[in-house]
Amino acid sequence: MERRIVEFIAALRASGVRISLAESADAFRAVEWLGVTDRETFRLTLRATLVKDAQDFPTFERLFPMFFQNSDPPPLQNILEGLSESEAKMLAEALRAFNLRLREMLERLLEGKPLSSQDFQELDNWFNPSHFTDLRYQNYLARQLENALQFPELRQSIQELVELLQQLGMNRQRVAQIQKALEENRRALQEQIRQFAGQQILQNMAENPPQKGNASLVDRLFQNLTEAETRQLREEVRRMAAALRTRLALRLRRAKDGQFDPKATIRANLQHGSIPIELRHRDHTLKPKLVILCDLSTSMRYCVEFFLTFISMVRDQIRKSHSFAYIDHLEYISPDFERMAPNQVIQQVLRRMPPGYYNTDLGNALESFAAGYMDLLDHRTILIVLGDGRNNFNPPREDLFQKMAKRARTCVWLNPDPLALWGTGDSDMPRYLPFCDLAFQVSNLRQLSDAVDHLLCHPVRGG
Amino acid sequence: MTHFTSPNMLKDSLLNQKYLASDELATVVYLSLQLEKPILAEGPAGVGKTELAKVLANAMGRELIRLQCYEGLDETKALYEWEYAKQLLYTQLLREKLSQTLSDVSTLREAADRLEKEEDVFFSMRFLLQRPLLKAILSEKPVVLLIDEIDRADAEFEAFLLEVLSDFQVSIPELGTLKAVHMPVVVLTSNNTRELSEALKRRCLYLYIDYPTLEQELQVIRLKVPELSPKLARQAVELVQRLRTMDLRKSPSVSETLDWAKALVALNASALDQQTLETTLSVLLKHEADLQRARQQFFARPSRDQRSETDSFPSAPWRN
Repeated sequence: MERRIVEFIAALRASGVRISLAESADAFRAVEWLGVTDRETFRLTLRATLVKDAQDFPTFERLFPMFFQNSDPPPLQNILEGLSESEAKMLAEALRAFNLRLREMLERLLEGKPLSSQDFQELDNWFNPSHFTDLRYQNYLARQLENALQFPELRQSIQELVELLQQLGMNRQRVAQIQKALEENRRALQEQIRQFAGQQILQNMAENPPQKGNASLVDRLFQNLTEAETRQLREEVRRMAAALRTRLALRLRRAKDGQFDPKATIRANLQHGSIPIELRHRDHTLKPKLVILCDLSTSMRYCVEFFLTFISMVRDQIRKSHSFAYIDHLEYISPDFERMAPNQVIQQVLRRMPPGYYNTDLGNALESFAAGYMDLLDHRTILIVLGDGRNNFNPPREDLFQKMAKRARTCVWLNPDPLALWGTGDSDMPRYLPFCDLAFQVSNLRQLSDAVDHLLCHPVRGG
Repeated sequence: MTHFTSPNMLKDSLLNQKYLASDELATVVYLSLQLEKPILAEGPAGVGKTELAKVLANAMGRELIRLQCYEGLDETKALYEWEYAKQLLYTQLLREKLSQTLSDVSTLREAADRLEKEEDVFFSMRFLLQRPLLKAILSEKPVVLLIDEIDRADAEFEAFLLEVLSDFQVSIPELGTLKAVHMPVVVLTSNNTRELSEALKRRCLYLYIDYPTLEQELQVIRLKVPELSPKLARQAVELVQRLRTMDLRKSPSVSETLDWAKALVALNASALDQQTLETTLSVLLKHEADLQRARQQFFARPSRDQRSETDSFPSAPWRN
């Protein structure tokens, strides 16, 4: 059992749940107290000690039954037992019509014999499923295994067998019974295969944990990232954001001890007979307010997601942030962040506003911002634009951008294009650039995190 | 150590305090008592996270010490503070005694030395203002410590809290190290407005309290507001559950359901008709936009003319 729990923890880790050694030790201590006899209590015990984030509950719930269930194969029924002698004869005759492999499979179904570990061993040798390291491939792998066992043909054969039996003159009701039992057995076998596939994948996951702290990924261009790499990077973003938050908090803390405030000191020390025991300081750094405009077109997706993750992780160091997304029009997306993680929000927003081909229109987005949200910008706001500034030759409306930049304290542009490409083709970057106080190239995570760091830790006053 | 021998026993004893605990909650709380680990309770506002600490204290017959977190909370507000004013006052009053003590010394150095010997009078427990954390540590009797809304405190306070939670001792430079007499039972609550640090989560058992199911919520109402008629209670809970599925700025929580139930009793309502709803819906929904949305949903005139009674509203499953 202990081994099983360790494997379970390894699989959870492989699926992206963070579990420390201390937590797995806790799990064992907790299991000692409550035992493993009651499955439900056992599940809750493991969940309370291992999973510390409600977002990871679904992963836990998906993996738990795969590790801790009565590992008996699903029940199969033996059809042959209930047959009379004449019926058995008819069946044997009908079976002769099939080739050897199919006959074997049909007989297995009739006898209700589950796949043995030997059978699975054989399948394993054919397939070598060791390169599947993601549970999403479970159904795919299961289907592959079924194909190898000729399940599609088997389905056909059951039909044919039934027809043959009818032709041989077996009782109609009896035939229907056999057909039903055969189908049920087939489904049970499929379930067994599916479980096997899942367990194979879990084992692979436990044996090949994903590479951690992949430094080269941090320098990989956003547009060259694969889905799997993105998931690794999300972890990295969280780590970087946590570090950033500590730095920000320190900055604010130091800033509080900045300038001496005589008035407040006198007031505070009245209770001590005006002996200045407590000194008061002015806080001269206020938490920034952010207004963020994000280009959500396909090329910008990851860049925006990572940036918004940074911002939402450090939201306690920010007074307020308003996020907008645009492709061809502008949408206010801040309310979505209250309920969902940034990557979910982006998927949700993309569902509402599907990206088309070459339809980015920043000019239009700026127009709707100027019409509806201009009051969000004031002398404390940092205006951040995340976009490649490629307008598909639509009017750039840099006049509006100038107005916005003027109202904001600082205006920052983050552009994933290399500097050399700014201004080439449909890029309107040079037109916006004069109104920005800062502009960064953010084509990979390292540049992005440097930019965010610079933005929040060393705010500049616009001028 | 504790007098609970199983999660079920804990559950019953919480039920005696009129707190309906799910299996999950009972298991986690039981484990935390056995393993002496803090509980981190997360979930939407108003589902009974804070209440859990209160009833747990009652059920165990312990005192509850509460630390409400807010932005800018620091050690002096959470742990201890020297009571300067009292120290000053004492120095003033004891001035005579002081000069007596120092009367026979000749040099300034000698006076300072003598004063140093008496120093611990001024830095003693007498002048130490105990804040919740220190109170919990020094308490003679075992206590329940509730650290409410930890997500509102700053990150650095969280780091400081880690130190206290891991071994329940504090060092006060003037007094030395103070160690807990009894391990307090610690409940931390969070509304998840920001991500808590991994280190803090690691030290706690995690409990997620979600909105209850219909039956659970009904049971809570029966426990807390037994005066409400069963039929009306069911209708009310059904309506609340339906409101939660709507896209509202603030979904009604259990505490709001309870308030509403009490309001219905106070108004002597016999059915959930349009009039009653109109007047009491503001107990459930706290945003004007939400209210309007709910009204639109519930009071929309139907296109079909099956409507005969004018009071009960259409398309509602809880029609009388």
